[in-house]
Amino acid sequence: MSETKKPLPRIGPDTAPFWAGAREGKLRLPFCAACGRAHWPAGPVCPFCFSDDLVWREASGRGRISTFTVVHKAWFPAFAADLPYNVIQVELDEGPRLTANLINVPLGGPRIGLRVEAVFDAVTAEVTLPRFRPLSVA
Amino acid sequence: MRSSAGHACIVGIGASRFGRRLPESQLALGSVAFKAALADSGLSRDDVDGLSIHLGSPLGLDYDRVAEAFGLDIRYVNQSWLHGRFVTHALQHAALAVEAGLAGVVACVTAVSFTRAAAVLGGDDDAEGGREEGGTHGESPPYGLTAPASGAALAMQRYMHVHGATSRQLAAVPMAMRKHARLNPAALMRNPMTLEDHQSSRMVVDPLHLLDCCLMTDGAVVVLVASGERAGDLVPRPVRIAGMQGIRSGREEFIFAPRGMGLNQQTFGRMAARERDLEIYRNAGVERADVQGLYTYDAFSPLVPFTLERFGFCGAGEAASFVQDGAIELGGSLPVNTSGGLLSEAHVGGWNSIAEMVRQLRGTAGASQIPDASCLQWGTAWGDSVILRN
Repeated sequence: MSETKKPLPRIGPDTAPFWAGAREGKLRLPFCAACGRAHWPAGPVCPFCFSDDLVWREASGRGRISTFTVVHKAWFPAFAADLPYNVIQVELDEGPRLTANLINVPLGGPRIGLRVEAVFDAVTAEVTLPRFRPLSVA
Repeated sequence: MRSSAGHACIVGIGASRFGRRLPESQLALGSVAFKAALADSGLSRDDVDGLSIHLGSPLGLDYDRVAEAFGLDIRYVNQSWLHGRFVTHALQHAALAVEAGLAGVVACVTAVSFTRAAAVLGGDDDAEGGREEGGTHGESPPYGLTAPASGAALAMQRYMHVHGATSRQLAAVPMAMRKHARLNPAALMRNPMTLEDHQSSRMVVDPLHLLDCCLMTDGAVVVLVASGERAGDLVPRPVRIAGMQGIRSGREEFIFAPRGMGLNQQTFGRMAARERDLEIYRNAGVERADVQGLYTYDAFSPLVPFTLERFGFCGAGEAASFVQDGAIELGGSLPVNTSGGLLSEAHVGGWNSIAEMVRQLRGTAGASQIPDASCLQWGTAWGDSVILRN
């Protein structure tokens, strides 16, 4: 695996369980033990009921594209070879929306409403980025 | 003229030349604008004892260097976040400071070199992009989403999906700004723009074309703010800051989208303007219908329709239709950014539009003059606002 020159996520105490899960190929989210809701971005308390009682659990990894863009300009040189590339927001079945890329892009490009599932891309020895692919209906 | 008592006033405006790849430092551009604002107001340098700045170094200027370089003796400073979203905040804090007696005259100093500092905006040196990962702009550098334009693109894509708006409709925004710029000798983009020009300009971040994205320019604007009491003695026609409304923030806010659009962590639904976001009109003692011109931070063309909906000039999803047929052009029902805005005049952080509001209210806007302009609104897609009156 070649070390990427692309920006890496800033992993901190509140987000470390997410990235540890991604390294294991699992999409984990912080759920509130008091109100039951998952939230994102990960914080130290539940933003809905303000409880401290958070539990990281594996989520379905499934959702649907809520919006997307296709980037045609290389703001970072490290992305120049990828142009044009997509960035999507995915509304997970558990509620929170994640930003990521769509791989195995269907003909016609990404579209809002497309059902997707997480896949895991180890970009460095320490960091695995979740991305999404169209959900197989098999 | 109404009494200025109790209302901070803008008593001077000044600008440098605007351009791309100007050789002057930001300090040099700032000194030109500062001197011009002093001359405009009749104040002397010694009268300025406050500074309010949001676009700091390396894109712009930090307050301490301004005070040092211009030989000022400052007793009040507000320096906030290096973002377009803090234009209003910088002006508001100047007003609050003079009304609270923390300063006699506050200079809002904006001097930028977007061309020299390009890498700090979505480029390799963009600490902002990293800070905002998962934040309310929507940037996510690890996935290649690194510039503010991409947040506007995510919002516009969804807006088009939800409301059926099109890029051809959106084109009316940059075309209107270009028409205004063509009347303004200081504007940088003065060649005509057709719908075809817009549609054939290269795609930058789908669905935003190049002509949906503002200029990256260099220039400076200085706005001098004094208390209403002081202003009456200074200038014959002070421009009153008649009302203010602060920036909105929370999980339901995405900087580059109306509420309820389902961007980032926003709930999807309830997109209509809320009463709570219309307090600007009550604070200014006016009705929305009294507003004769709207000025906004048009870094990307979707921000104009989003602002129109935020303040209820039209209903949710109606702005793409609202902006057609010259409605936001001079002579239309609600002229927007009459000097050409960030999209066609210059990107001086929006302060070029605030200076234009002052010219309008003084009746000195020349070919761009809104007849009998007496009530103009600055308001942004992120919900903050200032109403200026003469």
